[in-house]
Amino acid sequence: MIRVSNVSVSLGRSRIVEHVSFDAEAGAFCVIVGPNGSGKTTLMRALSGDLPHEGVISINGVPINRLKLWQMASMRAILPQSTSLSFPFTVREIVKLGMTSGRSGAARHNVETLPDEALERVDLAGFGGRFYQELSGGEQQRVQLARVLCQVWQPVLDGQPRFLFLDEPVSSLDIKHQLIIMQIARDFADRGGGVIAILHDLNLTSMFADRVVVMHKGRADSVGTPMEVLTDDRILRVYECALKVGGLPGKSVPFVLPQSATF
Amino acid sequence: MSETVLRKPAVLASARGGRRLRPEGDRSALARMVIACLCLVLAATIVFSLAFGASDASVLSVVKTLIAGTDAADNGLSVRDRIIIYDIRLPRVILGALIGASLAVSGAVMQGLFRNPLADPGIVGVSAGAGLGAVSIIVLGGTFLAPMIALFSLYALPLAAFFGALIFTLVLYRVATRRGQTSIATMLLAGIALGAMAAAYIGVLVYIADDKQLRDLTFWGLGSLAGANWVKIAASGPLIALALVISPFLARGLNGLALGEASASHLGIPVQRFKRIAIVTVAAATGASVAVSGGIGFVGVVVPHLLRLVIGPDHRYLLPAAALLGASLLLIADAVSRTIVAPSELPIGIVTAAVGAPFFLWILLRRRGILDL
Repeated sequence: MIRVSNVSVSLGRSRIVEHVSFDAEAGAFCVIVGPNGSGKTTLMRALSGDLPHEGVISINGVPINRLKLWQMASMRAILPQSTSLSFPFTVREIVKLGMTSGRSGAARHNVETLPDEALERVDLAGFGGRFYQELSGGEQQRVQLARVLCQVWQPVLDGQPRFLFLDEPVSSLDIKHQLIIMQIARDFADRGGGVIAILHDLNLTSMFADRVVVMHKGRADSVGTPMEVLTDDRILRVYECALKVGGLPGKSVPFVLPQSATF
Repeated sequence: MSETVLRKPAVLASARGGRRLRPEGDRSALARMVIACLCLVLAATIVFSLAFGASDASVLSVVKTLIAGTDAADNGLSVRDRIIIYDIRLPRVILGALIGASLAVSGAVMQGLFRNPLADPGIVGVSAGAGLGAVSIIVLGGTFLAPMIALFSLYALPLAAFFGALIFTLVLYRVATRRGQTSIATMLLAGIALGAMAAAYIGVLVYIADDKQLRDLTFWGLGSLAGANWVKIAASGPLIALALVISPFLARGLNGLALGEASASHLGIPVQRFKRIAIVTVAAATGASVAVSGGIGFVGVVVPHLLRLVIGPDHRYLLPAAALLGASLLLIADAVSRTIVAPSELPIGIVTAAVGAPFFLWILLRRRGILDL
């Protein structure tokens, strides 16, 4: 379990995150939502160990500032928003970087085929020999996800759950791949791991999340299930946008919801 | 998961000439083969360099001597040839190989550290910093730096160059890197400023230098392997060897750093400590090389770039391959510099710049986009 209790983060003199508390259990998909500048990414960076914080962030009961980098690397993997490279790595070489640290948990005979398996998972089978820099932004993002998956391939290792942190994992993807990525995260949680993701898409959030943390002006406005959290007045207050949950558009406008997907 | 799916031919490269199947995009087998070939090339270059010159001892007799040792009477070499080979050519070849390797490796490490293919100690002012350190010792060694020379004797020159390179690398990193991201434009501009600063201070030192020091400076500044001897190897060899021994241990960190500092630390790499080690390694390799041979430019940018085109940027293979190719190329350049205007010789820095500078322009032409990063 990831436990965030009373966490505050400052960047320079300004306090970006204030007194945030929530739990992200193993087996659950936890989504952080909120408007731009509400402190989501700063909170994620603190969870990742990149920023100093006040309060306590613990993974499986151990505060993260007592963990060494290599220990954390075997407990959680992090997908950044985007990654650009200045050297001509192949897709396969990038994915294999996920296996250089941490412990994938793949069986030994599986290690050679793991990158291909991970690429197939993110719908990039056969891309191993392509150059990363020649791929589109959405494809690059999926290559990075394949790398991150390799780092924590088994959601549970030695009886300890492991975690995926995803920072806007679907922001540059088409609808098909948004659903594929969300399914991968869901599946990781269903197999006993934990997932914390930052999302902007409230529909995908309500479809896949077990727990939603709504960030507003650096504070956790509310924590709960999508049903509890996504209400008209909260969306008005937090996003400053008068929207109606479950409201349908007028007949002349087509609308497509991810919820209508059949798997 | 389903293993049968993984074995399908779309994922694995087709068998070529009955060779073992290798997954597509995995260049490690190719890289190992290239490294093996480069070992042979270096061995051949060394023998060729030993046998090649004004006194034409045959390749065969040189190899015989190397295997049998100096005392064997029946190796077909005259006493004169033996002296030429052991006291003139052998130190020069060893020094050339060490310096070629260290220039190429320091270029590769620096490019990995700054995450850009244009970083090279010669281009971004680090060599100039090493030069400033070296010139300070040559000119001020008689006066207020005399205790340094008394303390470190023959190591004073390479150590001073090392500290010059170290300070300049630290300043460069501090200026060009912000929140784990290096700006290429800022780095190159900072390099220009550092180079100008070093040139100004060196100018002051040259101005106050006496006649003998001026002669030393001129010989040193030409960028040449001429005058290589066992003493110079003893002075600079240890620092270079240290850098070359450390470099393979930097490979994993440099690979991780290619993803950016944050991602590297998420992979478990202690980024801050790693960067310090990498910077010291670059400074040691550059400083020691500059102390012996002056500025030999462009080896550090050309060699890693060529290798990346063939074996890819995986530093586990790139670093040893760069050492081998750098050593071979510098020996070949030295052979050219010894013969092109024989019986006189051209400083090797002129040869590497004449070939390397156009090559650098070619890289820029092909990859102008990277400057916009």
